[in-house]
Amino acid sequence: MFEIYLPIAEMSVNLLVLLGMGGAVGFLSGMFGVGGGFLMTPLLIFSGIPPAVAIATEANQIVASSVSGALAQWRRGNVDIKMGTVLLVGGMTGAVVGVQFVKLLRQTGQIDLIISLSYVTFLGIIGSLMLIESLRAIRRAKAGNPVSMRRPGQHNWIHGMPLKMRFKRSKLYISAIPPLLIGTFVGLLAAIMGVGGGFIMVPAMIYLLRVPTSVVIGTSLFQIIFVTAMVTILHSATNQTVDVLLAVVLMVGGVIGAQFGARAGQHLKGEQLRALLALMVLGVCLRLLFDLVVEPDELFSIGRAIGGH
Amino acid sequence: MNRRLIFAMLTGLWIAASGMSALAAPVTEKIESDISSRNIAIESNFTGQKIVIFGTIENSRQSDFEPGLYDVVVAIRGPKETIISRRKSQVAGIWINSKSQTFANAPGYYALLSGRELKDITDRTTLNAYGLGFDSIAFRPLGAKTSSMATGGLGEFRRAVVRIKQREGLYIYNPEGIVFVGRNLFRATVDLPANVPVGKYAADVYLLREGDVLSHNRSHLTIDKQGFERFVFSAAFDYPLAYGIIAVIIAVCAGLLASALTRRD
Repeated sequence: MFEIYLPIAEMSVNLLVLLGMGGAVGFLSGMFGVGGGFLMTPLLIFSGIPPAVAIATEANQIVASSVSGALAQWRRGNVDIKMGTVLLVGGMTGAVVGVQFVKLLRQTGQIDLIISLSYVTFLGIIGSLMLIESLRAIRRAKAGNPVSMRRPGQHNWIHGMPLKMRFKRSKLYISAIPPLLIGTFVGLLAAIMGVGGGFIMVPAMIYLLRVPTSVVIGTSLFQIIFVTAMVTILHSATNQTVDVLLAVVLMVGGVIGAQFGARAGQHLKGEQLRALLALMVLGVCLRLLFDLVVEPDELFSIGRAIGGH
Repeated sequence: MNRRLIFAMLTGLWIAASGMSALAAPVTEKIESDISSRNIAIESNFTGQKIVIFGTIENSRQSDFEPGLYDVVVAIRGPKETIISRRKSQVAGIWINSKSQTFANAPGYYALLSGRELKDITDRTTLNAYGLGFDSIAFRPLGAKTSSMATGGLGEFRRAVVRIKQREGLYIYNPEGIVFVGRNLFRATVDLPANVPVGKYAADVYLLREGDVLSHNRSHLTIDKQGFERFVFSAAFDYPLAYGIIAVIIAVCAGLLASALTRRD
């Protein structure tokens, strides 16, 4: 009844299931303030969408969610445009390289493997770190000590690099090289994994660049808009893997879910929620790892030759 | 005398003529067929479709309803594809694609329907000549030195293509797929799944008796994306850059709309 045919993924899927997936991931991103791309892309892959279509389409969806997120931050004056621009110069470079890399991987038949491996690696690391951090916080809260964030120090090795720039909004005078490199790395991830890369960008800005926490989220979202927009256009031009219909359905589900998520998040305890999210991230990671390690029932796979369309 | 001669001549002529007519116009069986729909549109609600191939045997010599004299075989072939068959092997504990073999001219869809097992109908030479049955599909391996596909590693890759396509519902063999309605009328129903490739299809209907192909009839079928699906698909492949830019514009608008709707200060 609610089956819709996705023109680029070339498959028929249930509209309600897709909306539900978009809504569930939107709910989580609203609740935790995370982008959700790192959960959405594996979910799309699990439901049979070709991985190359999943990453390109998810990049398209993230454009929408980061526009509304960045706008809210912008109104509060939490965006460092100059820092964001330096980050996204790197991000664009990473996106160009990443999309070409995806094209090469598609031709050699290794794209599914590399996407899975990237996810196993990053979800594994981030899930574990989050779980450890949240368990510690829970223990501390039980012991009665106030939960305190470690304050970043004043100087580190980054301050010794050349090409110094003044970032007024972030109250920083640092070399442009580290933000460029971080931007490039995140742009690369965006192109290969179909994520905004906030989960790398935010900690990197806090701990490496020492950007004040108040402007971190806004600035990260600001550059994510442009990097994922670039990734979407490049994937479309190079690989023809952006499914607009799928993206729009996910956007609708995501927006609705995020509203409920944001409201639910206000009434719940942070540490327990983070632990829950960490467990979910680790669950997705293990599922992907399982598929890579266990001998598949079918050793063969077939695909249409790329470029013969 | 004269009358008797004339009578004899006439009798002779009549006998000759009747004998001649039997020789000159032997009853040849012919098959005629058609498909229930010649154009299939894939739209957003497409979840697959059934088509019916029906036809009749003309000048049938079969006198009763009991089947047996004729065999009807229907082969529906989709557009040709270049397919890469890849085999996974374990490297450092992880299963990755290692060896691969490319096949040109593989039908994207192949359905074979008959009234009984193909091997009971005719011999391998005939099956190969007409491309009937999975073993007789003319895959063309690219880059391989020999064309002997049944031997060695090549056969493994070839069988994988057939096996996976079968699982996807794109390769079909149904030896009970031909149903006779009455003495000469037959019909065959076949599934086109949701993932059916677009393009031109040919439905070939063969009439066989004692293993020999007596008659062959072909009808055509076009499967195409229509409406919005077609628009999106052709935009993505014909104007990929513009498509990407539009995809981004849609996303930006959706984001702006979402924040306008959800803003309450």
